[in-house]
Amino acid sequence: MPSSSPRLAWIWAVAVFCCAVIAGPGSADAQTRAETLRQVTANTINTLDPTMAGATREAFGLSMNVYDRLVAFTRKPRGNGYIFEKDKLRGELAESYTVSPDGLKFTFKLKRDAKFHDGTPVTADDVKWSLDRHVSSKSLAASQLATGSLTKPEQFKVIDPYTFEVTLDKPDRFALPNLAIVYAIVFNSKLAKSKATPDDPWAQGWLKDNTAGSGAYTIETFKLGEQIVLKRNEEWTGGIDGKPAPFKRIIMQTVPEAATRASLVEKGDADISIDLAASDVLSLESKGRLKIVSTPQFNAFSLIAFNTKAPPFDNVKVRQAIAAALPYGDLFKAAIFQRGQPLYQGKWASAPETSDFPQAMPVQQDLARAKALLAEAGFANGFETTFSFNVGSAAVSEPIAALTKEALAKIGIKVDVQKVPDAQMSTFINEKKVPFFLEASIAWLPSTDYFFRVFFTGPQRWNYSSWDNAEIASLTDQARFELDPARYDTQTRRMIALAAAEVPAILLWQPNQDAVMAPAIEGYTYWFHRQVDFRDLARKGS
Amino acid sequence: MTTLASISRRTGTRFVSSLPALLGVVVFTFILMRVLPGDPAVFFASGPNAGKAEIEEVRRLMGLDQPLLYQLALYLRDIATGNLGRSLTTGQPVLADIQQRLPASLELTFTALVLALTLALPLGIAAALNPGKLVDHAVRFACTLGVCVPTFVSGLLLIYAFYYLLGWAPDPTGRLDIFAQAPPRITGFLLIDSLIARDGTTGLAAASQLILPAATMALFVLAPLARMTRASMLAVLGSDFIRTADAMGLSRARVVGVYALRNAMLPVLTIAGIVFSTMLGANVLVEKVFSWPGVASYALDALLASDYAPVQGFVLLMASIFVVVNLTIDVLYGIADPRIGIE
Repeated sequence: MPSSSPRLAWIWAVAVFCCAVIAGPGSADAQTRAETLRQVTANTINTLDPTMAGATREAFGLSMNVYDRLVAFTRKPRGNGYIFEKDKLRGELAESYTVSPDGLKFTFKLKRDAKFHDGTPVTADDVKWSLDRHVSSKSLAASQLATGSLTKPEQFKVIDPYTFEVTLDKPDRFALPNLAIVYAIVFNSKLAKSKATPDDPWAQGWLKDNTAGSGAYTIETFKLGEQIVLKRNEEWTGGIDGKPAPFKRIIMQTVPEAATRASLVEKGDADISIDLAASDVLSLESKGRLKIVSTPQFNAFSLIAFNTKAPPFDNVKVRQAIAAALPYGDLFKAAIFQRGQPLYQGKWASAPETSDFPQAMPVQQDLARAKALLAEAGFANGFETTFSFNVGSAAVSEPIAALTKEALAKIGIKVDVQKVPDAQMSTFINEKKVPFFLEASIAWLPSTDYFFRVFFTGPQRWNYSSWDNAEIASLTDQARFELDPARYDTQTRRMIALAAAEVPAILLWQPNQDAVMAPAIEGYTYWFHRQVDFRDLARKGS
Repeated sequence: MTTLASISRRTGTRFVSSLPALLGVVVFTFILMRVLPGDPAVFFASGPNAGKAEIEEVRRLMGLDQPLLYQLALYLRDIATGNLGRSLTTGQPVLADIQQRLPASLELTFTALVLALTLALPLGIAAALNPGKLVDHAVRFACTLGVCVPTFVSGLLLIYAFYYLLGWAPDPTGRLDIFAQAPPRITGFLLIDSLIARDGTTGLAAASQLILPAATMALFVLAPLARMTRASMLAVLGSDFIRTADAMGLSRARVVGVYALRNAMLPVLTIAGIVFSTMLGANVLVEKVFSWPGVASYALDALLASDYAPVQGFVLLMASIFVVVNLTIDVLYGIADPRIGIE
């Protein structure tokens, strides 16, 4: 019969369809599952080269696992997890390092058994090529390394195949930490050079889709925007104990819907997620079946910024009035369910108790004072303004905006809330077009003077409030190269006191990072890049 | 033969006459994207220390430092040579991204449409045969319910029931179980590819991933399809030739199933075409809820990042698909009602 084969195909299709309903999930080999870690995240990895402009945070996290750096930060226990120590470093590719007494010369002895994934030994030439690339090529690395006075290839010198030297013009306490951050990765220079072209001498095109590292994991499959699978590098020597990483296989999968991520982890189909919705974390915590490592992001902060260059916020009294009008406790509760470290209601008035920053600033709600300040500023009848935030942060920002609008209405300020798409928000902030807005940011190297230099000086984008204070500018210049701890302490305390008096921005809090994982997962560490470092993790009892 | 000739002639005319519309769509999207206030260079140069120099570099790489008309001319030239530009979000050529993701969307949408039609046609016919009776009201109720519940709600409910509570469905993360091996890529449609590879296990795995999102989408489009079937069946059932057929003593099944249904199909086809095109582009929510790697969520992510090339490529793709779907519907008209082919 001529019509029999299409008909058969149809029956087949229907049969497949019906069976599908009764078919359960695929049964994975139990042994493999125990040796595999599956992370679910909302975001994607868009490049294998973290120095590329536009690299996502997950791409940063990945590069920590695939590449090694000369040095690495150490970690210390906190609660049921660990946090990184910004001031204590250890060798990663370096077996040891020494600093000259004047602080200008760093000498690194490389590990002799360190090998790239293709088996070539890691030598000082590779380190030199990589650092030259970071300071010379057009990428995000150059401006970051410049914050540690690492700016030109002449500073990097090969002494012998296993000895490498970095020279500075001035002693800089950020030089060494900058060699431990995401961008300072060491490439297999022979491999990379073979892929370079005259137009692309640093092989940036090739390294975007390929890796040439020596790290703890190699990439098994990479499906852009869906998932990436990593395989353990058995030859890895960069760990503290020199042993390979505990997990054999890592699956990092993109699952955009927060509720779906939560049920995957709860059901045990996924092992870890660090970007669940706060409400899901609360309900999972109350059920008590999963392990939750909650760490205040001590190198990050959320703030409300003013455009201090334009009226009405160029008037310090207006800024103080708003700082006195906000219901901080309610904001903290409504926006992040009190999961974080508050940066308000500091117990000091004019001189801070420590030189740490960000720290709790001396602000609290006092409507009578707010009204009085506003009247002194000449706005007894209030004024109108807009309050902006980006769509991507709506879950946290919307309650803040609503409560701010309500609170400011009480002192006569009429606020129009604007919810702006992320890319537009970046543009507005960069062009200083928004008067009053919500922002959150992070510093990889969380030192007080670094925070002030990046977020409160100069015409650059991260100075959200466009704050221009001559004393702060000179203090940050001095503190940057200050070697005397006592003087550094005095300088940074003065910066914090100035910020408290002038209120260029209202610090809100440092939100927690809630890493939710299966109870058997151990070793989770909060890192400066805020991603999962798979090298730390192990499954108990396997 | 004459029918075939007329169909292909009409296809040709339709295709040529759609070219100006496509060009218009391209130019319009191009300008729209640049009028929107987001600056992709600022967004993508967002490293912790990225300054003016980095922003300018991204702008130069994207060609944004050139005059607008020159950019447009370059873009049109690129499109003519089949180059849709490069996405900054994914770092890949847009064409490659779309080739990778379109089959996922098409597979899901086709399945959903087939599912919706197999439900909607019987429901609509049943309602039309019993107007004003209990069946009619029940169908209306079901349809209203389907269209009232937003897809992300019904999607999450289905996940909650079938994955979380009952554990019947596999974890709702994409097209294939994470531990399953994908069949060799031939068409990009996992069901077809696994049939070609004669790999039943993978076919089953892919189908089981497909069921929930397809059902979510089907529920949402049930209403227009069933309501249209009902209305058009009612009109046809009241016409003279049906009364004649009844009077001639033809069986009820033959009258309804052959004479009435075939004549009532035209408006249903039109709606099915529109529903298909809309589902393909507008089902961002279903794609997001089920982590489905389709084109709609790709375009949304790009739009949020002001990533010009993928958005422009997506709009062009959607416009082209509308043209193709309309053509297909035209051809199907000819089959459903031969009078259209002859005119």
